[in-house]
Parts: sequence; structure tokens; C-alpha cells
Amino acid sequence: MRITLSCAALALVLGSAPAFAQSGEITIWSWNVAASSLKATVAGFNKLHPDIKVTVQDLGNQPTYDKSIAGCAAGGVGLPDIVTIENGEAENYWSQFPDCFVDLHTLGYTAEDQKKFPDFKRTELEVGDKAYAMPWDSGPVAAFYRRDFYEKAGVDPASIKTWDDFIAAGKKIQAANPGVSMTNADFNGDTEFFRMISNEQGCAYFAEDGQSITVSEPKCVDALTKVKEMKDAGIVSSADWGTKITNNTAGTVATQVYGGWYEGTIRTESAGENGKWGVYLMPSLTSDGPRAANLGGSSLAITSASKNKEAAYEYLKYTLGTNEGQITMLKEFGLVPSLVSALNDPYVSQGLPYWGGQAVWKDILGTLPKVVPSRGTQFQSDAEIIVRAVQTKYLAGGYPDAKAALDDAAKQIAAATGLPVKS
Amino acid sequence: MRNRNATAYRFLAPYLLIFSVFWVWPIISSFMISFQATRTVPWRFAPGFNWGRLIGDPAFFNALKNTLLILVIQVPVMIALAMVMAVLLNSPLLKARGLYRFAFFAPVVVGEVAYSAVFRLMFSLDFGIVNKLLNSIGLPKIDWFSNVTPAMALIMIAVTWRWAGYNAIILLAGMQSIPEDVYEAATLDRVSKLKQFFHITLPLLKPVIVFCLVLSIIGTMQLFTEPFLITERGGPGGGTETLGLLLYRQGFRSLNFGYASAVAYTMAALAIAITLVQLWLTREKQ
Repeated sequence: MRITLSCAALALVLGSAPAFAQSGEITIWSWNVAASSLKATVAGFNKLHPDIKVTVQDLGNQPTYDKSIAGCAAGGVGLPDIVTIENGEAENYWSQFPDCFVDLHTLGYTAEDQKKFPDFKRTELEVGDKAYAMPWDSGPVAAFYRRDFYEKAGVDPASIKTWDDFIAAGKKIQAANPGVSMTNADFNGDTEFFRMISNEQGCAYFAEDGQSITVSEPKCVDALTKVKEMKDAGIVSSADWGTKITNNTAGTVATQVYGGWYEGTIRTESAGENGKWGVYLMPSLTSDGPRAANLGGSSLAITSASKNKEAAYEYLKYTLGTNEGQITMLKEFGLVPSLVSALNDPYVSQGLPYWGGQAVWKDILGTLPKVVPSRGTQFQSDAEIIVRAVQTKYLAGGYPDAKAALDDAAKQIAAATGLPVKS
Repeated sequence: MRNRNATAYRFLAPYLLIFSVFWVWPIISSFMISFQATRTVPWRFAPGFNWGRLIGDPAFFNALKNTLLILVIQVPVMIALAMVMAVLLNSPLLKARGLYRFAFFAPVVVGEVAYSAVFRLMFSLDFGIVNKLLNSIGLPKIDWFSNVTPAMALIMIAVTWRWAGYNAIILLAGMQSIPEDVYEAATLDRVSKLKQFFHITLPLLKPVIVFCLVLSIIGTMQLFTEPFLITERGGPGGGTETLGLLLYRQGFRSLNFGYASAVAYTMAALAIAITLVQLWLTREKQ
């Protein structure tokens, strides 16, 4: 209690001090294009705060989580000032280490500031009256495709409305372009297709209140069934994050289905394929499906171990809380703002040269209102590893059908978490 | 006498202090944690929570099965291979022996992370040299990382590559300590080279082989780096997850310290059991 009070007092004192008085060094842990985009905002930030030196360290996705968790477990030793936290994994931090991160309210984050972000981005970041992190980007799913491969096979992307259309198109495209796979999935270490299709259908591992397991509900069963159909049809070849990028550049894949943040990955990693790529909405299970889902998306949290919390908060305020910061990241690396006001920026409706003049953001962001929230809960990493094992076994023919596979997954998640399976 | 002991203990004190803080205490502490439900803060005492889960947890039995599978298949294959290499190295016909010895030993010197990265590249589905070679002799490509059996085979290949030469050098040292006159006598009695190997070399080498086996079994029980780095944290879907990886995942990814401690104690018990069986099997007959 005494600590909270003194923090609040500190916040009051600092709140009244002029902002330009901030100085010092802050360090941020992040990964891939997310790290690159943070670096891109530093120049703009330093115009306002020339005395704050920002260092962004790109550790890679999993190592960031591993090192941050280890740091929290060690009482904050070795942690940077700001940590990137994926929304799906966020609750794991707060539930185990409620003191590892600063309640942003103590640094001046007001209820009005919170309202600038959509609810579905905030549910996992706020516990009771505490706000542990500020929402950053979201991942509205889209299909990124190679125009030349589709044209050669005479496939019009506008005609792909369902995953069955996608499979049929894939067969044509692979026949017309030898050595090219219709799409890639990381069957070694991810379940991205299952999660995207499930979310699009409104099904998640856990119920929205986080109190029961819903992974074996009919919509999830349909999603997993479709993943196997796609694999059995031979239109999916397996590739992890790095191999997907290699495939994009080498021209051995026709489509990547991923969250909107993948726009920046394709544009920057495969810069030589300028003008060859395009975007269409993700397919659905039925021709009247919503064709909108979310995959990934992160937030930034300030560690209690930080020696420069106020400077760190200034950085958050600029990078995540202003249109300028958010649009810089969208422009440079395709990170989709969750700051609602940024979505009305003129840049969003512009045709982009890399994408052959297509206004890709208008298409991708148009799906946002239809996205159903999917709560990670503190058991996400447990559940994910179980679903991964079940998916591997199911794809190899280890279960009679997807229902049996997901019933088994639900049973295992129940054993691991103590939560009931929703029946 | 008592005085002398006291002096000795005073000299030992710094070590004993460090030993009790960094060894004894964690061992006791993790034992106590294994009886607590650590999924939610605050932790509470619930003996059945972790141990009850362990008994019926498919992930635990999967990791156990994977570890034992490597133990039963990879270790004997590697020792046999090491034996062949040692015999070849020991041949008087061999030129440039030093070079070969170095070449066989070199994998151990290579950093684990570096060699894991190279194996990932070599076995990559579309761009790896292994699949290119398979293709060039008319075999289909293998998706090494996405199917359980090839992924497991890959881990075994990698571990064998790294440690076979090391064991061969140890076996070679053992072979060279067998007196030459035993072989001379056998040759005079017209015993074939093959029979000499099975009836002289192998029995006399037994202690060295046992030593290699013990080292390899301990190594397998602790196997972590290869499935962590090469098959991406025990992928696909836990297909190459070992006990060490399961412990790490439960403790430091799911933050389930209680369950991780229970797994750790089970691993320790298992290692003790295997060691006892080994000692009993290889005991000197009176």
C-alpha cells in the first residue's frame, strides 16, 4: 500500500512537471518487424524528447517471452524498461507476476486514454482497476497472394470465397506453376490456420469469460477438419516463419494467409518482388461467412524494474497513443494500429505501389468491425502446446475425425488447467 | 581431535555455505513446491494437484516415451558405430591417422547452437541439401520437421553425428591398452580376425564400453538442445519433446513451477533407477 501511495505521489509530482524535462535511456525488447517499426518511431519521438535515448533490441518472438518471464521470475533482474507482450500470452504475466509490471494509471494513463483503444484489445491487458499494458497493433487476417501465379493459372482471386474455392484454386495454380505451393503452414511449431479459421467462425480455445474450455465446439471441429482437407489436397507445404520468407522471395509459394502485420514482412523482406503481390480477404467455410479474423497483435508494458518509468511512458504515449506514431509503424512495417483514430488517417485509403496500386489497408482494416474477440487467458501457452500435439496427430491420421481429436484436446486442457469443458 | 575437526570445518565453511544455498536449499524447496498448486497466485498446498496430474498426463508419457525411444535406439546404434570407427582407426593400414582422429572428434568441439542451425538448413524441406540428394537418387522429399517419425530420426541422426566420434576416441584408447601379445598368440593359433574381435577385443573392452554407455545414457536423459533448436522446441506437436523440454516448458513457459518440480523429481528417480539397473547388470561376477 505504501508503495502504491508513493508511486501515486510520484506520478502527481511528475505529472505537473513539463514533459520536456524527461531524459535518460530506455531499452525495449521486441521481435521481427515489430522491433523494426519501433525503431522507425524513434526519430519522431526524439523531436519531442531529444534527451531520451531509445534502444530497441530485436530478440525474436519466443526468446522475448522466455527472457521476460525468466526476468519476472527473478524479481525483475535483467529486464529492460519496456517489454513487448503478445495479447494472447498477456494474462500469463499478470496472473503469475502481478508486481513485475507497472500499473500505467500511476504514470498518467487515464480512462479517456483507455477509451481510445477498442475493447477487444484491452480485455487481456487490464485486470480489475489496473492497466498493465497499452494496446499496440492487431492482426486482421488477410490472404497475401502472388498476382503472376494466379494469372498464369487463370484464377481470379475475387472468386475465392470459401476454403473449398481456395483448395480448387490451389490445385489449378500448382498445376500451372510447377514448383510452387498454394500456401505454407507451420506444421512443426504452430496452429495458425486452425486458429484463424476457428476465430473467423467465432470459436476459441476458451470461452470469453475464461472460465471454460470451448475448443471442442462444432465450429472449431469444422475448422480443424478443413485444415486436414487442405493438407490432404496437397496445396499446403510446411514452412516455419523463416522458411515462409525464403519461399516468398524465391517464388515458391502463391499465397500466405496471416495477420495484417504480415504486409510489412512481405514488403520489406521481399522488396524485389515489387508489384507482384496483392491482397484478398481470407476465405470462409461458407460463402456467406464473415471472412474476418484476428491473429496475433501485441501491446507494450513497462517493467517495475525500470529506472526510467516516466521516460518509458512518454515513449508509449507517443508511439502507441498518437496517430503520428501509429501511422509511422503502419507505413514502414505494416503494423495495424489499434488506436481507433489512426484508422481514419488518409494513408489508410491510399493505393500502395508495392501492392500494384491496391489500397490494401482499406480492404484489410474493413474487416476489423467483424472480428470476434478471442481471449487468450493465462492458460494459453498450455492449451496451445496441447492443440499443437493433437493437430500433428490428427493430420497424421491418429484420430478417426476432428471431433475425436478436439475432444481429446479439451480433455487434456482440462487436466492441465482445472477448467471445465463446456458441454 | 575435536579441535582439528573444527579447523577443518572452518576451512570448509565457504564451500558448505555455497553448497547449502545453491544445492541443498533448491532441492528441498523444489520438493516442497511440487506439492503446491502453482497455477494461480497465491500458491496453495495441494499434494494431489501435480502428482495426480503426472500419473495421467499424456504430455508426460509422451516425453517419457520419446526419451526412452532415443535411449533404446540411438544409444546402441551410436556405440556400435563408434566401435566400427574405433576399429578402423586402430588399423595399422590407416594413413594420416591423426587427421582422422581429429575429424571424428571435431563435432564435439562445434558449438551446439551453430551445428543445430546448420542441421536445420541441411534438412530444410525445399532448400536443404539432404532432400536435394534424396531427390537426385529418385527418392521423394521428406518433410523432416512436420512429421513425428522423420523429426525423431533427425534428432537421433544429429546426436549420433555429434557424439559417435567422441565415443570412438574413448573406445580407441581402450583398444590400444589391450596388450599386443594376446592378439599375437591368437594369430599363431589361427584364430580369424573376426573371432579375435568378438572373443578378445570386446570382452577386454567391456569396462570402457560400459563407461561410454553410462555417459551416453546420462546425456540422453538430459537431452535438450537438439530438440529445442533443431525441431523447434520439441516439435512437431511434441513429437520430439524430451523430459528436459517438458520440464522447461512447464516451468518457464507455462509458469507452472509446481508441476515442473514434480517432473524434475520423476526424472531424478528415473535416472537413479536406470543407474541401479545398469550397475547390477554390469557387476563383476565373483
